[in-house]
Amino acid sequence: MPSLAELQRGLRAALLGGDAAAAVAAVAPDRLPPMARLAIYRHHVQTSLTAVLEDTYPVVCRLVDARFFAYAADTYIRSEPPAEPRLFAYGAGFADFLAGFPPCRALPYLPDVARLEWALHAAYHAPAVDAPAAPALAAALAALGGDDTPRLVFTVDPSVRYLASPYPVDRIWHANQPGADPEVSVGLDTGPVHLEVRRARDEAVFRGVPAGEWTLRARLAEGRTLEGASAEALAADAGLDLGAALGALFTEGLLVDFTLTPAREETHPC
Amino acid sequence: MLSMTGRTRARAGIGLRAPHVDEILATRPDIPWLEVHAENYMGGGPALRRLEAFRRDYPISLHGVGLSLGSAEGLDLTHLDRLRALADRLEPCLASEHLAWSVSDGAYLNHLLPLPYTEEALDVVADNLGHAQDRLGRRLLVENPSRYLRFLDSPIPEAEFLAELARRTGCGLLCDVNNLFVSAANVGIEPLDYLDRLPAGAVGEIHLAGHGENDADGVSVLIDDHGSRVRPAVWDLYEAALARFGPVPTLIEWDTDLPDLAVLREEAAVADRRLGAPRDGRHHALAG
Repeated sequence: MPSLAELQRGLRAALLGGDAAAAVAAVAPDRLPPMARLAIYRHHVQTSLTAVLEDTYPVVCRLVDARFFAYAADTYIRSEPPAEPRLFAYGAGFADFLAGFPPCRALPYLPDVARLEWALHAAYHAPAVDAPAAPALAAALAALGGDDTPRLVFTVDPSVRYLASPYPVDRIWHANQPGADPEVSVGLDTGPVHLEVRRARDEAVFRGVPAGEWTLRARLAEGRTLEGASAEALAADAGLDLGAALGALFTEGLLVDFTLTPAREETHPC
Repeated sequence: MLSMTGRTRARAGIGLRAPHVDEILATRPDIPWLEVHAENYMGGGPALRRLEAFRRDYPISLHGVGLSLGSAEGLDLTHLDRLRALADRLEPCLASEHLAWSVSDGAYLNHLLPLPYTEEALDVVADNLGHAQDRLGRRLLVENPSRYLRFLDSPIPEAEFLAELARRTGCGLLCDVNNLFVSAANVGIEPLDYLDRLPAGAVGEIHLAGHGENDADGVSVLIDDHGSRVRPAVWDLYEAALARFGPVPTLIEWDTDLPDLAVLREEAAVADRRLGAPRDGRHHALAG
């Protein structure tokens, strides 16, 4: 007889569509054959996890139709089953999976639509933080010496996500909401878009941000220094009003805290 | 905190589901207690904060579905610590998990999967359960699963397996009467004999729910879908359980095709009347 660990590995394989031989050998064949009994469990695993993905990716589901979505979800679940029991954490890799899923090749914008849906989902479930009032943060910053300013690294509201796409995924998303006008068509050549996603008053929302400002925000959120992020933002938009763009970060409550990166080491003079 | 078992009599609560949250918060209906699935409140979003708003008015029972007490590879300690943090924050009146497994080789299979009832499995579950109770600093109630298959090598009857777990670990038991009914039909258990074999003093909670019936190649299979009212035969078995265990806090669960809150409250009211009915001795006749 197999050990418990072996039996569980055998069932795991059978439930994820792999080799069912070990599981079949362990199940009593009364009234129904073992394969039919295992199928009851497999059906639940597949349908319940597919429902989790449908809830997180309703626009993708609508774009490809429910039957195709179930087929894609089944393949994804088999190759990347959940790694832990918090189901809201499941599905982070679905966009990358779709990008490499040959039947989706005709829909090149689909992975970015999925990325937007995941960003909204993740923003909703992100940890809440007690952000300091903008004046308090500004006062703490003002207390720094001016020489330190380039080395500032900000902590951004953990619900915030930045994503850019060559496709107009924002318009695609809006056109596929319940109640949207079915006559609206979205030209795929109306991108690119630069989007900011965050949770506001218990709802995940997104909006378009001009490329220069988006670059500043996205780089700061990645943990780049103020100096580095500013340089990249100006490279993306030479006309960017950097002072105004930085001020908006405070008034919109995006910044939670700051630290200073260590000063650059002096190079030895000889 | 309102006691559910002490001097106040045991009452019937309902499982809290997301579509009912707004209505309950707005109307504060008279519901004795609410049970929540622990894993739904382990993120940082608004869900936990809203649950804490309930916590002020309703005792909360914490029902875990992902601890995988039956995993041969041991518990996911990160998950156990999440459960501990949540329990410490909510101070639940009851905390429960399942006699099942759902994790193997790093994959969480999102199902309460069956165990073979062997000495090896008993050691595994007792170890995991002992560890969990130590870490949580709480007694867990362990629920009997709905079953759709029987393993060839499974020599210990399920009720005895649960009784031995309670003896070894001090855990309590959650007797899901609907699960027992479903398992009895699907894998051939004698339900009244099963109830007799459970240690009555360890049973700290009862679950009730509806089930469906599927036809698999001409063979009837009951499916524990929590998608309808409690069936009459399950109410009968509930009477037998109450006769055996005495009045025990009872929960109405509903997950599929969730109806209006009023329907859940009606079901809970039926359970509540049965809980409060005078009853003597253990071998009470099975109500018709």
